[in-house]
Amino acid sequence: MTLGLSGYSDGGQTMDNHKGVLVCGEIADGKLAPVTIELIGLGRKLADELGEQSSVLLMGSKAGGLAQEAIAYGADNVYVAEDSLLDHYNSDAYTQIAANLCQQVLPSIMLLGHTDIGMDLAPRLNGRLGGGLAMDCIALAIDPATKLLASTRPVFGGNAHATMVSKSARPQMATIRPKTVPPAACDASRQGQVIPVEGKVDPAAIKVKVVERIKEQAEGVKLEDAEVVVSGGRGIGGAQNFAMLRDLASVLGGAVGASRPACDEGWVPARLQVGQSGKSVSPKLYIAVGLSGAMAHLAGCLGSQVIVAINKDKDANIFSVAHFGVVADYKQILPALTAKLKELKSA
Amino acid sequence: MSPVSATYWGIPGTIIFWVLFAIAFGVFLRRSYFLYRLLRLGKPERRSDRIGQRAIFMLSVVSSQWCALKTVGFTDLAGLGHALMFWGFGFFLIGYVIIFGVSGGLGLSLPPAFEALYRSILDIAALFVIAAVIVAVIKRYIVKPKRLEREESLKEKIIMVSLFTAMTMLMVLHYLMEGFKYAAFEIEPSPLLGGVLASFLTSNGISSATLLATYTALWWLNYVILLGALVYTPHSEHLHPLFSPANIFFRPLGPKAALEPVPAEETENFGVSKLQDFTWKQLLDLYSCTWCGRCHAACPAQLSGKSLSPREIILNLKEHLLEEGPGLLNGKAEASSKLIGDVVTEDALWACTTCGACIEACAVKVEHVRRIMDLRRNLVLTQNKMPETAQLMLRNMQSRGHPWAGIQSLRLRGDWTDGLDVKVLADGDTADTLFWVGCTGALVERNVKATISMTRVLKTAGVDFAVLGEAETCCGDPARRAGYEFQFQMMAEQNIETFKSHNIKEIVTSCPHCYNTLKNEYPQYGGDFNVVHYTQFIGKLIAQGKLKLANGLNSRVTYHDPCYLGRYNGVYQEPRQILQSIPQTNLVEMARTRNKAFCCGGGGGHMWIEEQSGTTKINQMRLDDALKTGAEQVVTACPYCLQMFEEGIEHKGIKGALKVQDLAEIVEAAMQPSESKGAA
Amino acid sequence: MNTIVCVKQVLDPEIPPAKFKIDPETKQVIPPPGVPPVISVYDERAIEAACRLKDKHKGKITAISMGTEKAADVIKHAIAMGADDGFVLQDAAFENLDSFGTAYVLGKAIQKIGEYDLVLCGRQAADWGAGEVGSILAEILGIPVVTFACDIQGADKTLRVKRLVSDGFEVLEAPMPCLITVSSEIGLPRLPAGPRLMMARKKVIPVWKAQDIGAEPAKLDKANAHTEVTALSVPTRKTECEIIAGATPEEAAANLAMKLSKLI
Repeated sequence: MTLGLSGYSDGGQTMDNHKGVLVCGEIADGKLAPVTIELIGLGRKLADELGEQSSVLLMGSKAGGLAQEAIAYGADNVYVAEDSLLDHYNSDAYTQIAANLCQQVLPSIMLLGHTDIGMDLAPRLNGRLGGGLAMDCIALAIDPATKLLASTRPVFGGNAHATMVSKSARPQMATIRPKTVPPAACDASRQGQVIPVEGKVDPAAIKVKVVERIKEQAEGVKLEDAEVVVSGGRGIGGAQNFAMLRDLASVLGGAVGASRPACDEGWVPARLQVGQSGKSVSPKLYIAVGLSGAMAHLAGCLGSQVIVAINKDKDANIFSVAHFGVVADYKQILPALTAKLKELKSA
Repeated sequence: MSPVSATYWGIPGTIIFWVLFAIAFGVFLRRSYFLYRLLRLGKPERRSDRIGQRAIFMLSVVSSQWCALKTVGFTDLAGLGHALMFWGFGFFLIGYVIIFGVSGGLGLSLPPAFEALYRSILDIAALFVIAAVIVAVIKRYIVKPKRLEREESLKEKIIMVSLFTAMTMLMVLHYLMEGFKYAAFEIEPSPLLGGVLASFLTSNGISSATLLATYTALWWLNYVILLGALVYTPHSEHLHPLFSPANIFFRPLGPKAALEPVPAEETENFGVSKLQDFTWKQLLDLYSCTWCGRCHAACPAQLSGKSLSPREIILNLKEHLLEEGPGLLNGKAEASSKLIGDVVTEDALWACTTCGACIEACAVKVEHVRRIMDLRRNLVLTQNKMPETAQLMLRNMQSRGHPWAGIQSLRLRGDWTDGLDVKVLADGDTADTLFWVGCTGALVERNVKATISMTRVLKTAGVDFAVLGEAETCCGDPARRAGYEFQFQMMAEQNIETFKSHNIKEIVTSCPHCYNTLKNEYPQYGGDFNVVHYTQFIGKLIAQGKLKLANGLNSRVTYHDPCYLGRYNGVYQEPRQILQSIPQTNLVEMARTRNKAFCCGGGGGHMWIEEQSGTTKINQMRLDDALKTGAEQVVTACPYCLQMFEEGIEHKGIKGALKVQDLAEIVEAAMQPSESKGAA
Repeated sequence: MNTIVCVKQVLDPEIPPAKFKIDPETKQVIPPPGVPPVISVYDERAIEAACRLKDKHKGKITAISMGTEKAADVIKHAIAMGADDGFVLQDAAFENLDSFGTAYVLGKAIQKIGEYDLVLCGRQAADWGAGEVGSILAEILGIPVVTFACDIQGADKTLRVKRLVSDGFEVLEAPMPCLITVSSEIGLPRLPAGPRLMMARKKVIPVWKAQDIGAEPAKLDKANAHTEVTALSVPTRKTECEIIAGATPEEAAANLAMKLSKLI
């Protein structure tokens, strides 16, 4: 067993020959993923501040057809890897293609979405390329003096923010959640280059194979898109009690979410988890029921416009971030609340 | 004269008498020995300490029938019936020995006056026995109180019918025999009632030959029935007459609520998963159960509709022992049915709140709680099976040192001292008196109020005490009661070291569970401190004049006895005395009070283990008890009870109608106003 | 099946947020007094995953942790759950390493341990929460990696891994040796069984220093760090919460309903 891998660079890279921003794009349902459009916009902004170029990597058989669109959003170069083996995310294949490209193009900054793909791909790429990575960033900025990328990310469950830089390691990598930065403006007149990526995916390099994909059908509104989210925490006490939250959510036309403890207990499926290790949501109204408001959970919902808390302990942290609150046992509040809202709705 | 002295078909009656006796007694002994061998399947246990004390207790309790009489109440006179039956039969047993044995078998004649006197006693005794049997039958089959509601198996029905029939027949035969004997032989003096029957028979002109023949037949019939009863008893499952005096003799003498540590030699199988894991005493319990069902009728889990019945556990285990025992004695490795699962369900084991009502109610000192704990230990330590809510609590005990999973996001262990002037022990500090707060009193908001009240009371009384603050960890009781013994042991050893490092002599605690554990269980690990519950401590302060409770309460209150303070440790009077020393306090008692108090539902790990679904919740039932008294306030001296009452009041929506207070809060309010301000 | 599990001891994440304090100078968190550190929640799940595989396939589990001397506690925790033995990696040079440095140290320790079929890590540390070390470690070791596993089944020389994605699951087949990062959806970890608890408590956990694992000073030099923290701050988030009350819970609920209906 060898320690070290061909392509793994140790510290002390020459950073002078690394230039430009490279966005690792995602294709969803044959279109550019919304997060990719956001990142192209961000990449453009960062590249402009550095006076360098911004590029996008698109992988999959649809990649070629989307290149122009990427250019319109702000890319100077679009690297296209048209290979049907890349149509569905495969960690080995994507890492291979992206790493090879990086070693040719030598970007100074690499951006990925903090998505299913990005959360897996970014650390792996980072390991292979020897760069510096900041995950789940809430802000990226170029330091005017040092020209280094300063990435700010939540740590300690969101209790603190850390700013990180990579002085010498390249590329400087960052992942960002969808809807953190605004989507890029589209300018159809923009010009750019479409460059096919050399080399196909080496099937021998694909060690881990995806055998099955199980989509869990969400009934009703999807959590990430809902305008109203009713979320339950450890205080809910059991799977059957979530029915009360579902009732409230349906009257409000919203979705049900949960904190990690509630998901770990098995009271609701994992995909409903809101928080640092779950989804980020920013609805108009976020109702936190039986949730203490641990920072790790708040990390996922602080973008909400109005936060309402229902908790029987007045010292619960949720009240320090909520706009409205009721200090009571949720079991006594929710049915009455749902009924009254139904009444007001029909009036 | 005696039927034994006659000859039957050429065989002398004596021979027949003694041969029958030998056979019957032989079979009796053989079966009894078998039952004894079954007990030997169990592990050893030392119960022969203080033999004198044990013997005196057993003899006095059994002969005075206090074991039965203590269960007598207005609605339950069965204990009186049993006492009468017991004494009645006691006289009869002596009578059988005299009449059948001495006079019959040995052929010695008895002085007529003595015989008449003794028979008169028997005449009266028989009346009581018959009356008791009739009442028992009515109770068991017509009235059917809660404690006797049971699906009796065919075997059990046969036993019951046989018992009642045999007893009645023996009594009737007694009279008949007397009548015919005294009529046939015209002996004077004659017994009280027997003589009446004899006169009746003689006055009806029955020939003396007929009288004699009938007497002889009745005599042998009586003898055979007696021998039959002797043989039948150990073969039936109605074993308590043979074994319950022994069970009373071997009763536990240590503190009621102290569980035993897992033996150090144990390496593989912990707790009990099969019959051979029980001790012989635990198996003896199974024989001794009288089927009275009082434990069943006292169990809060049972009364709230859970599947747990202490009586069923005992009786099912007994059947299991009798069924599987022979195979196991012959060297079979395993029983064919699983103890946990087939004989006793896991649900039943987890429903127990360890309140001890079953032990208190039992006339023959069966130990139910210890058994359930042993089975829990097996589930947790060996099989790693427990309700998720229990697992969550135990994991938190392990990683954070307290059972309140999740609460640490709200407040930390030492936060309750914020703003209070209390001495928090640092490394190297010493203190004589330690106020041990307990996890609930430090971490749960409602209970923190009681802790603060207690602190103010102690300061007002000028007590020099210290607290451990954030260095305090759980006493370990929730872990032990949930069966997670090793975690308990680790915490106990750690706490004892902490106490010793600060040179603590006296520990005052707010929580009866901590009280019980620190006082009765820590000595198992070398912890020898003077532990008092705050009700005892405050009582002393009042007596010493250090606390004056002058502010009137102006309220009708009722006191709820926490199980671990009252029933288990006998502290009933002190809290009541405190309440009664407060002016304008109208103290009323709930129907189920003191040693008969009904559990709040929080013990046995149930502050965290989810209550199984039943007909109602235990705390609701106790709340109803309190409401029935018309009291405005319920007072208790336990953080779990306080939580349970608050939850019940909230759930029922009667916050305005009934308030629940910890006794410390009541005392604080009653203290003189000038002393209470600024003290803390 | 020989498994190595990487576990990290972290400051207890479960504290009242108001008690969370940092030192902006040293860019460290100041732990509140009296709160013992705990095992990172996802790492505990990784141990659980390893134990489940050992239940079915036998084999050996080794736990390693890079940290202070107190890290021996998390190794003991792992042993109590079912690990066979473990090592603490502790050295002044190991303090404040970034993800690359951490992965390097763990990689060297794994090299020293020798043979293995599977390396398990938590998906991210419960403190800094980056979620990088596992994948970087896999690249260092040159083995495949699967992230966010919520179920692992073994058969011969491959593992069948159920992986969490935002709208459901993927099932993958990974050849051994490989590295898997484990997420909390794998389920609750087992309670350490009684006897193992006592046995683990008594065990003395060996400590490996930099020279014991052959770690090169250049790789541990902070000057060569791939990332560094230039600022640490606590964001101030104060909202005035309007408490909606009522004479009864039902009334409070009705009042809240009125408020909300004006908003949406």
